[in-house]
Amino acid sequence: MITVASLRKTYGTRTAVDDLTFDVAAGRVTGFVGPNGAGKSTTMRMMVGLTRPDSGSVRYDGTPYTSLRRPARVVGSVLDARCMHPGRTARNHLRATAALSGIARSRVEAVLAEVGMESAADQRAGGFSLGMRQRLALAGALLGEPQVLLLDEPSNGLDPDGIRWLRTYLSDFADKGGSVFVSSHLIGELAMFADDLVVVGAGRLLAAESVAAITAGNEVTVVVQTAQPQQQVELERHLAQAGLAVASDGPRLKVRNSSRSAVSAIAFAHGIAVLELSETTRSLEDSLLDLTAATAEFASA
Amino acid sequence: MTSTTTFMNHRSARSDVTSLPAALNAESIKISTIRSTGAITLLTAAIGIFATWATAALVKDEVLVVSGVFVYSTFLTAVLAAIASILLVTSEVQHGTLATALTAQPARWVLVAAKTVTAIGVGVRLGIIGMVTGFAGGLLGGLEIGDTSKMAATAAWALIFTALASVLGLGVGMIVRHSAAAISGLLVWWLVAENLLWAFLPATVSRFLPFYAGGALLGVDVDPNTPETIAVALTRTQDALVFGGFAAAALVAGTVLLHRRDTN
Repeated sequence: MITVASLRKTYGTRTAVDDLTFDVAAGRVTGFVGPNGAGKSTTMRMMVGLTRPDSGSVRYDGTPYTSLRRPARVVGSVLDARCMHPGRTARNHLRATAALSGIARSRVEAVLAEVGMESAADQRAGGFSLGMRQRLALAGALLGEPQVLLLDEPSNGLDPDGIRWLRTYLSDFADKGGSVFVSSHLIGELAMFADDLVVVGAGRLLAAESVAAITAGNEVTVVVQTAQPQQQVELERHLAQAGLAVASDGPRLKVRNSSRSAVSAIAFAHGIAVLELSETTRSLEDSLLDLTAATAEFASA
Repeated sequence: MTSTTTFMNHRSARSDVTSLPAALNAESIKISTIRSTGAITLLTAAIGIFATWATAALVKDEVLVVSGVFVYSTFLTAVLAAIASILLVTSEVQHGTLATALTAQPARWVLVAAKTVTAIGVGVRLGIIGMVTGFAGGLLGGLEIGDTSKMAATAAWALIFTALASVLGLGVGMIVRHSAAAISGLLVWWLVAENLLWAFLPATVSRFLPFYAGGALLGVDVDPNTPETIAVALTRTQDALVFGGFAAAALVAGTVLLHRRDTN
């Protein structure tokens, strides 16, 4: 488990990270989200000892990162997929990375195969697309067969196939007991495979809960359209009598906090023919935007 | 995935020391797998052979021998060694691989030690190439070999010069962290500022200028030397200590900054 406790970092008068506390559990994928300038990258850099916090700590099963004897065997991190010499081949990049951590050269070939880069192993990184660099950077993180993966925007530049592959890979990694801590701007993407979320804004923790808990409060709206306009008035009355929050919206009715089965049962009971019956739920993205709206440093007009 | 016992594996001073060979191996792979290393080696060889060949072909007013001119190009070799060592750090900063290295090896002194050993190796290697090609250039220029009794000692002092220049370059690279700024700063100081200072400062002071002291290790008489400068000249050992002192100071300053700065 990763324990982040009271982490704080200031640059001059600007507080980048302010009293951040959360845990990343083993066997789960934890998404790290927040608007630009929320302090995500600074936090991740502090998690691997590249940036020194003003106060607070990050511990991996009780041990600070900089006290780990062989950190690559515990934590695999990708904080910037561009971190490779453009003149060095993929294989040599991994050889150098493996050598520094005392990892056997055989792992280089293994991780190249794992990320599907065997055919590009002898190509120079300077000619790689961002997607290929992401794969190579992930290969570097996997060299030490770590128990924890820390990834900053790992799906940037990946094609749809690559994104699906990454999603599956990270889910499998967590299923095998590993901890995955992944930041992403693609909230819809995160919603598909993250178990937990850590939401930050303006350097502060806004939420650290399971995805299910964050979306639990999202209300469901049932949209219903009757065959005849007069039946709409009739159905609206019956729904209101049943205690449901119903409102007319042009040719449709919108029923908040209900379900399709409940609405269709009422319509059926009163012999009202229905043309359309659908259910909409606010997305995780909506929930997160609500959470971070007040702290967004760079908001769209 | 490894077992959770790995988590309990804490760093210690002993484990840091035992990780040094791995860091050296990584540096060796890094330096041998980029094209700039080959380019600097070729340039050193080309300068070595051309400088002595041109000297042999063009200088007619004094008697030159191969055993004397083979170190003539070493001054430029030292420049190239310093540049190569600057790139050992600045190229890593520029391409972000320093961050990767620091996450793999949190003991920053281990990285500095590995880079210092690598830099010394670069300086010695380039020094040898420069002198060997310088020797060949002298022969190609038609010079006699001459008295070879002092060649080994001259070559040894020359290698100390190129190795220390390399360490100095590494220190400058760690301080400045930007390739163009570090290289241009070093060259402007070495080739321009120091020459101006040498012209204006009294000889008792100018003998302590770093590259003046470093260049004196080659034992080559240079035209600007005057009876006054010769009278107060340092011994080679003292020159080595002066130049080595500057190199060590740059390395220490760079190491302190590497520890204090956050790495992006």
